[in-house]
Amino acid sequence: MGITTIAFILLSLMAIGSAIMMISSKSPVHSVLWLIVVFFAISGHYILLNAQFLAIVNIIVYAGAIMVLFLFVVMLMNLNAETEPIKNYRLRLIGILSGGSLLLVLIAAMMKIDVAQPVLMSTGDSGLIKVLGHALFTNYVLPFEISSVLFLSAMIGAVIIGKKE
Amino acid sequence: MNAIILTAIWGVIMMFCGVFVKSKKAPKFIAITGLLLVFAANAVELATKKSFFNIQVHDMLQMDSFNLAFLAVIFGCTLVFFLLSGADVENVGSHVAEYFALIFFVLCGVSLAATFNTLLILFIGIEIISIPLYILTGSDKRNLKSNEAALKYFLMGAFSTGIMLMGIAFLFGGNPTASFYLQHLQIGVGPMPVLIAFGLVFMLVALSFKVSAAPFHFWTPDVYDGAPTVFTSFMSTIVKAAGFFAFLRLFQNAFGNMHDQWQHLIIFITIATLLIGNVTAVFQQSVKRMLAYSSIAQAGFMLLAVFALNDRAKEGILLYAAAYSLATIGFFAILIKMEDYTIDGFNGLARQQPLLAFTATVFLLSLTGVPLTAGFQSKFFMLMAAVENGNNFWVVIVAVLFAAVSAYYYFRVIQAMYFKEPGNLPLTRETELTGSFKAMLLITAILIIFIGIYPEILVGWMYH
Repeated sequence: MGITTIAFILLSLMAIGSAIMMISSKSPVHSVLWLIVVFFAISGHYILLNAQFLAIVNIIVYAGAIMVLFLFVVMLMNLNAETEPIKNYRLRLIGILSGGSLLLVLIAAMMKIDVAQPVLMSTGDSGLIKVLGHALFTNYVLPFEISSVLFLSAMIGAVIIGKKE
Repeated sequence: MNAIILTAIWGVIMMFCGVFVKSKKAPKFIAITGLLLVFAANAVELATKKSFFNIQVHDMLQMDSFNLAFLAVIFGCTLVFFLLSGADVENVGSHVAEYFALIFFVLCGVSLAATFNTLLILFIGIEIISIPLYILTGSDKRNLKSNEAALKYFLMGAFSTGIMLMGIAFLFGGNPTASFYLQHLQIGVGPMPVLIAFGLVFMLVALSFKVSAAPFHFWTPDVYDGAPTVFTSFMSTIVKAAGFFAFLRLFQNAFGNMHDQWQHLIIFITIATLLIGNVTAVFQQSVKRMLAYSSIAQAGFMLLAVFALNDRAKEGILLYAAAYSLATIGFFAILIKMEDYTIDGFNGLARQQPLLAFTATVFLLSLTGVPLTAGFQSKFFMLMAAVENGNNFWVVIVAVLFAAVSAYYYFRVIQAMYFKEPGNLPLTRETELTGSFKAMLLITAILIIFIGIYPEILVGWMYH
């Protein structure tokens, strides 16, 4: 077991553990903080895959900007035990059952895949901004440009919904 | 290519209209002009196979006659929608130009979803369709039901998008070339690899959600009921047809040679959709809600195309998109003018407004699938495709039985219009029933009958 495998296992445990903590913690602020840990763990995975740029962007955008926004919303809404909706135990049971069966099937199927090398450390300069930019503006220029329509419509939507009638 | 670029550009033009044009009536005419332009450009591309724009797309889009013919149908139906219900968009809120801009962006997404050749473009296309729809659903800001519908649609839609992304990730990792292109997902003989199977199921779930097939239909009645009626008309017809087209193309081009391995999943979804849609529609008192369930029921019929997956199914989906969209848009246009949305609100409409009652009858007959209407031909093509498929013949019989059930709730409205006594109050908002509106209704009805008699004209575009 090489150092990469150990790093991969540690990062995965960290990601899954904090994800579970995020959905199970009572306070929304704690949830948000756990989510930041998840993003850091995922950034670690990106570095293992030799995608340094993606790792940095993931931390700046998700762990930085979006999480701050999340925290603000959570704090402004002042969520506490009284405002929590009444829990429906039957619904919860159904949720656990269906989620659990999906997990079971996923695990059972994944066991069938035999992988020669579970963790492969990529090398070379494939994760550099230069290479990424080149791919984005040559092979993937169409999806890149077309996404502007998506963002434009989302922006119009924000204006329509936010503006006073 | 023409359609994608021109719809995006015209969306931006509509945005600027909101700033520079103060008149509330003007955006509608600008939108109609733009749509005519898009339709013409698309028709030129269909006829000459050449785009005005020479763009290197790296094979990510596929512009063949089938896709372009479908886009022509979509733009034609949108044109009818603008002409019939454009004036009602003006009554929704104060951002009229922006609503039209969003509709153009949806059309851009539809053009992408109809021509994609990689999973990337499919994803972007579906998202460009969805996000403007969340906004249009919530555009009646002072109506609580509209707000609730928008939030519900947004949350559940975002969840289904997540499932679709996960499916794409599985498919990307599962094929040996690690590529997004559909042709690289085609696996030769033998059982499906595990990762591909997962990707397929996740895509199936996400797309079934987007086209509101059972058991992923739960958002449909609330959203269609809560949204402003004029936008319900748009998203239950044109957008839904586009969703089916993307569904069919993905499963044909990416998973076509594994057809017999996933066919049973589609059969289950088809039967469940037909059952739930038709049976629940029977119990509805509100016509708007009844149409929401009927749109689920019609989705079951369109799923037969994915079940059959042959050339006849391609012809069928083209016809079905046209027949279903035209009839539903027409009927919604009449419904918007009614004072009361319950079935009793239609009592005696034939005495007060004979033309409205007559055209409504044509639309409903087409939705039922009575001969001489476009609805009959489209259902006929779908069933023929399922028969030519060769196996699981019982699905066809079940579909026919449910088509008979659908006659019950469509005919209830016809019965209310012709055989019940009207009250003393006027049933419709008569000031809005202009001569041009009535003429347009009549033209739509004639179009439906015309397609019902000469379906080969529409189908012929496919082989152009």
